[in-house]
Amino acid sequence: MRFPSVLRFFRGALLALSAAALPAAAEVVGDEIVVGTVSDLSGPIALLGVPVRDGMLMRFDELNAAGGVHGRKIRLVVEDAGYDPKRAVLAARKLVQRDRAFAFIANMGTPVVMATMPIIVDAGRLHLFPFSPHRATYEPLHPLKFQNFAPYQDYMEAATRHMLSTQGYERTCLLYQDDDYGLEVMKGVEKGLAANGRELVERTSYKRGATDLSSQIARLRAARCDFVVLATVVRETVAAMAEARKIGWEVDMLVTASGYSAQTHELGGEAVEGLYGVSVLPHPYAEGANSQLAAWIERYRARFKAEPNVWSVMGYTLADLFVRTAEATGPALTVEAFARTLEGMEFTRDYFGSPSYRFTPQDHLGNRYGRLAQIRNGRWELITDYLQ
Amino acid sequence: MSRVRGVARPAALRLLPWALVLALAMAMLALGADYALGKATLVATYAIAGLGVVIVVGQAGQIGLGQAALVALGAYAQALLVGAGVPPLAALPLGALAGALGGALASLPARRLGGLYFGMSTLAFALIVEEALVRAEPWTQGAAGMAVGAFAVLGWRAASTLEQAAVSLAVLALALVACHRLLRSRHGRAWRAVRDDEVAAAACGVAPAAVKMQAFIVGGALSGLAGALYAHWIGFISPEQFGLVFSFELLMLAFIGGARRLAGAAWGALVIVVIPQLIAVLRDQLPGDWARAAGLELVLFGAVIVAVVLLRPAGLAGGSARSDAAHGDGA
Repeated sequence: MRFPSVLRFFRGALLALSAAALPAAAEVVGDEIVVGTVSDLSGPIALLGVPVRDGMLMRFDELNAAGGVHGRKIRLVVEDAGYDPKRAVLAARKLVQRDRAFAFIANMGTPVVMATMPIIVDAGRLHLFPFSPHRATYEPLHPLKFQNFAPYQDYMEAATRHMLSTQGYERTCLLYQDDDYGLEVMKGVEKGLAANGRELVERTSYKRGATDLSSQIARLRAARCDFVVLATVVRETVAAMAEARKIGWEVDMLVTASGYSAQTHELGGEAVEGLYGVSVLPHPYAEGANSQLAAWIERYRARFKAEPNVWSVMGYTLADLFVRTAEATGPALTVEAFARTLEGMEFTRDYFGSPSYRFTPQDHLGNRYGRLAQIRNGRWELITDYLQ
Repeated sequence: MSRVRGVARPAALRLLPWALVLALAMAMLALGADYALGKATLVATYAIAGLGVVIVVGQAGQIGLGQAALVALGAYAQALLVGAGVPPLAALPLGALAGALGGALASLPARRLGGLYFGMSTLAFALIVEEALVRAEPWTQGAAGMAVGAFAVLGWRAASTLEQAAVSLAVLALALVACHRLLRSRHGRAWRAVRDDEVAAAACGVAPAAVKMQAFIVGGALSGLAGALYAHWIGFISPEQFGLVFSFELLMLAFIGGARRLAGAAWGALVIVVIPQLIAVLRDQLPGDWARAAGLELVLFGAVIVAVVLLRPAGLAGGSARSDAAHGDGA
């Protein structure tokens, strides 16, 4: 390699780079509003990513069929980052620059959200309702950042307090995924215990993707826990319950909203009977559904040839919040106007059984509460209202 | 030991700068400047890490399966130092040093192990580093990850993609110069001697264990340097980002580009970073639900990789086995 050639290359490259234009401005072009999402359709949380995307698509398709928002259609552009922040950064830049996304909804996974959020808000785009427990998604207050997922720490504190006061547990333990999700849950459980003058008797962790939790369950059993909180997702929840039942340990377990899914009882069967869970949005069961929900389920089945789950409802709800805010903003839609309108919005409970979401100029976190459910006869049954 | 003639420029290296400029110009035209410059930043950063793999795997012939751990050490060293008030530019060499130290540690089993067994030990090293970063919560904030500010020099902040690309390309240029010189030195010849025949190299007075360690130190320093830049460009680091998938990605990068040539790192980075994005853009043109099919990019990317491996088994920058023998390799 001769260095003059390398120098020539870098000189050429810098010349090319210097022709760079400024980032495209946040604007609604013509009769279309572009909404971007950096999702996970092929990575570790694709289980969530696909139904969330489908739920959003369904809401936007319905809106477009009805004529759009003040005559504008909404186009959802989905990028798959597979939980990889490097891919996510490029995907976010594509959505900002090429697709001129007006807003980002439901970006998925903490590394992805943390890596892309500065790019998005620096470009003057809305960063709405990301799937991440990180407080930076709504604190400190930022004019373009809004979150509506109840923080694990807040609702697990309330759930732990409630379980201790109603069931009288004395030895609470924790099984947690060793990432930001697990740590957030741990803080909430510790706060809930502290409110009852107690501490965690035992805690043990696993790495994401682990399938064998036998050593962790053995350790918790050896600690004589009478109540185990699970900071797990679906597969690990089933594995933990199945292992406990296999060794004949009939301990009560409570899983976070990440394990509150129909897949938990579909995969776990008998082994997960009696499992408690926190729900931030009810699962859409066809059996016993109200008429509006039943019609929605039918439409979803017809559109995607699949059964909807809680994540589909979540995607649909997030898109609906966007649509309703855009409608309330009026025909002169700008990022600034949308954000200020959202700050005055209150979304009351709907036919899905969602909590009410409320944003104010001082608080961009729309909900802090979850409710308790339990698996009974092979399905989740809600056993409390939203816990304050 | 006679001087290796392979330092004459192979065609792949001559074409590389033009290919990169062309790709960048096309991306700018098609996708917008900010997007293209963001890609250029990551291509250059990946290429620096890829140079580390080229040194360890392509030059010294060692199986390194945990390169991402060395990138992680650089990234965390940079984040911690900058967080402690050290200027980012001054922290860069220390990030490289952290990677070099990690490389030295990872190479220790090479004194007793060889081949795949040693490869397994580097895999274990990567797992240990990832776990250690999680456990060192008071400093690293554990699995919750830590935010890293923009790269800055004397009050100038590399906040725009143009500035970030310029910094990355400048560091890549310096790394290429350093590697080029190293490969022409006795160290480079010793690496290749150990790679080609360890026993013969030892008979000629080369100490294989020390030579392997040198390769790992240099490879680790390059990976650490890439990690230090990566921390600034991504702005948020967490241990899970530097898992085995990233290690295999870097290994794939070197083999696609050509593990035996420095230019291979840049070619490989170009493929690894740019092709998935091009696929994402082309995917948008597909009709209806096809454009939104889960995992479509991965399938198409896999097909591209298979095609590259079949058509260019020695990598994009690699010549045929015969030309390698005739001209030596390395540059």
